[in-house]
Amino acid sequence: MKQLTHMRSALLYLLPSLILFTVFIFYPMFRTLYLSFFLTDAKGNASVAVGLDNYIHLFTSSQFLNSMKATLLFVLYTVPLGIVIALFLALLANEKLKGIGFFRTIFSSTMGVSVAASSVIWLFLFHPSIGMFNHVLQLLHLPQVQWLVDPDWALLSVAITTIWMNTGFSFLIILGGLQNIDQTLYESAQIDGANYWYRLRRITIPMLSPTLFFISTISLINAFQTFGQIDILTKGGPTQATNLIVYSIYREAFVNYQFGTASAQAVILFVIVLFVTILQFKLGEKKVHYQ
Amino acid sequence: MKNMKLRLLFLAILSLFVLAACTNSDSKKNDTTSTNNTNDNSGKDTASDPIEIDFWHAMSGTAQETLDTIVANFNKSQDKYKVNAQYQGTYEESLPKLRSVGGTKDAPAITQVFEIGTKYMIDSGFIEPIQTFIDKENYDISQLEQNILNYYTVDDKLYSMPFNSSTPVMIYNKDAFKAAGLDPEKAPATFNEVIEAAKKLKTDDMAGFSMLTYGWFFEQLVATQGGLYVNNDNGRSDTATESVFNGKEGLNVFNFLKQMNDDGTFGNFGTNWDDIQAAFTAEKVAMYMDSSAGVAGMIDAAPFDVGVAYIPYADDVERAGVIIGGASLWMSKGIEEQEQEAAWEFMKYLQTSEVQAEWHLGTGYFAINPAAYEEQNVKDKWAEYPQFKVTVDQLQSTKESFATRGALISVFPESRQQIVNALERLYQGEDPQKALDDAATETDKAMETAEKANQ
Repeated sequence: MKQLTHMRSALLYLLPSLILFTVFIFYPMFRTLYLSFFLTDAKGNASVAVGLDNYIHLFTSSQFLNSMKATLLFVLYTVPLGIVIALFLALLANEKLKGIGFFRTIFSSTMGVSVAASSVIWLFLFHPSIGMFNHVLQLLHLPQVQWLVDPDWALLSVAITTIWMNTGFSFLIILGGLQNIDQTLYESAQIDGANYWYRLRRITIPMLSPTLFFISTISLINAFQTFGQIDILTKGGPTQATNLIVYSIYREAFVNYQFGTASAQAVILFVIVLFVTILQFKLGEKKVHYQ
Repeated sequence: MKNMKLRLLFLAILSLFVLAACTNSDSKKNDTTSTNNTNDNSGKDTASDPIEIDFWHAMSGTAQETLDTIVANFNKSQDKYKVNAQYQGTYEESLPKLRSVGGTKDAPAITQVFEIGTKYMIDSGFIEPIQTFIDKENYDISQLEQNILNYYTVDDKLYSMPFNSSTPVMIYNKDAFKAAGLDPEKAPATFNEVIEAAKKLKTDDMAGFSMLTYGWFFEQLVATQGGLYVNNDNGRSDTATESVFNGKEGLNVFNFLKQMNDDGTFGNFGTNWDDIQAAFTAEKVAMYMDSSAGVAGMIDAAPFDVGVAYIPYADDVERAGVIIGGASLWMSKGIEEQEQEAAWEFMKYLQTSEVQAEWHLGTGYFAINPAAYEEQNVKDKWAEYPQFKVTVDQLQSTKESFATRGALISVFPESRQQIVNALERLYQGEDPQKALDDAATETDKAMETAEKANQ
């Protein structure tokens, strides 16, 4: 009896968020799942039920398989390197020096720049004829690189941009984690005569592992959902080299007006992200040291 | 202590985000104007409410300024109707918005839709063909540019009112021509002539020729040889079922580009319009293809003499001309009749030669009413920039055929994407026929799916 009243009051407290989630998350999710079994007409309504055809079509389409490959490569390029760079900067910024606040602000500043604005900045840097990068290469008498036009470079260029964009956020979170580590641990280690690297390996990293785990999960999901910089920098080209899944979904839905196949892609992306996240929790969380 | 500082920093950044989010919200222009009106009317009870209509457009930058002036002038010129011009993002962004309200009474009376959305709009059921109003009033449409009307006339019905129209042109650097020993007043006209000229123009810093990696230019180069894009007379005598752009004419275009790519005289500046224009002004390329709407800006921006020429064609065929690009205005169905009337009045106002002259000069788009070219301000501008005339001449000398009227397919945006992909593969060394065939297959698949979904 008592449990029932508890349950009721719990539900009452949860109600506002449940309503919001239902309207903005659950309903669209089920709607997407539903649409993925249909073709849609010019008005975007489900018109012909095709069963699993949309999925079969996707898994046999070389363009979609290429999108999957590009997305996985992109995740591999951006996530590990992004975290390593952010960790490095956070370790630097965690030193007790005069004026360190200035550097902390600089290192986290990319967080204050929107995706669109930073993409445009990088668009100018990568510019094939008046871009700064090519200008520097020219000064050094190195061959010019077609950053966004050459299929071998485009994904890498977008990855560099993305790492730069995400560093601010990762930096800030990791720095927060560093500051939370109990100073007495370092003090006693110093008394024991442990050098910097030993302390880093045996104290900092283990104590930081919950933060690192959090940031790697978030970065991974973000990387899978990359859209803005693709739209502005490459539009999925050249030769589909940067056509990541979310961009491919956007094109399918809002340029080609095929909500059915677009929904099917969205469902596949959902399954992939879910799978990767579960995998990460299973494998990664064992190594996480909670206090 | 450290924690405190960090928190402050975090808070500061967070507040920045909130600020940014706030400025994002659209100003509700429409609402405020309507409340203003009711206030005005309570003050003076003589005039009846003007009929207000919404006009969704996709013009930004200087074109938007010109358009806003024209709309303001229309609203001032009479007190029966009031047009609210609203920018709804690019063509690609405004179409999904229209879809959510299309056919209901909340739809805007007039929507500007790009030319390749024509078939989609006709099939959508959202719209009332302009022909209805032309017939009702016996309105004389013959004053308008025939080559532009041809594009938007389907089954002998004019579906939408032409508005901003442009065609492709070849823009070249006259100074570079002189330096290479070429005649700056005579641009190369055929594919082979362009290939030869590109060889001479090529230097260490400058490519000979370039073309934006964009489907529109491919369509134009096929059409100017008299080639079709899809079957059933470019989808104009019956719904197109198969793409034919991978035939002889399409292959000519791909071989033309491949030849220069192999020679090393072709400059690839990607899919971004700004990039290729910047490359031209920075003298990284001597000849390139652009829209006629970009001519004025280019003449102003380039630090050298700019020449404008017709687009090239294959050596063994006759030049057929160009297809109209740009956008047209569509009238909504399902809205109040008096709103349609207001929209129709506004469309008629847009076609007057004075308005068209203003539009042509303000934007570089064609005047859909050729009488505008007789206006004094246009004549003055042409005297200053004779290059403008080339673009109009190219359009007016176009021979009417199914090829130059342009293709009608509902999956055009997707097909263009396939062409972009094919061009990119070509530049990476793919066999021209193979790249074209793959694009054709994908286009056919898309057409088939669309056909199945819209039965």
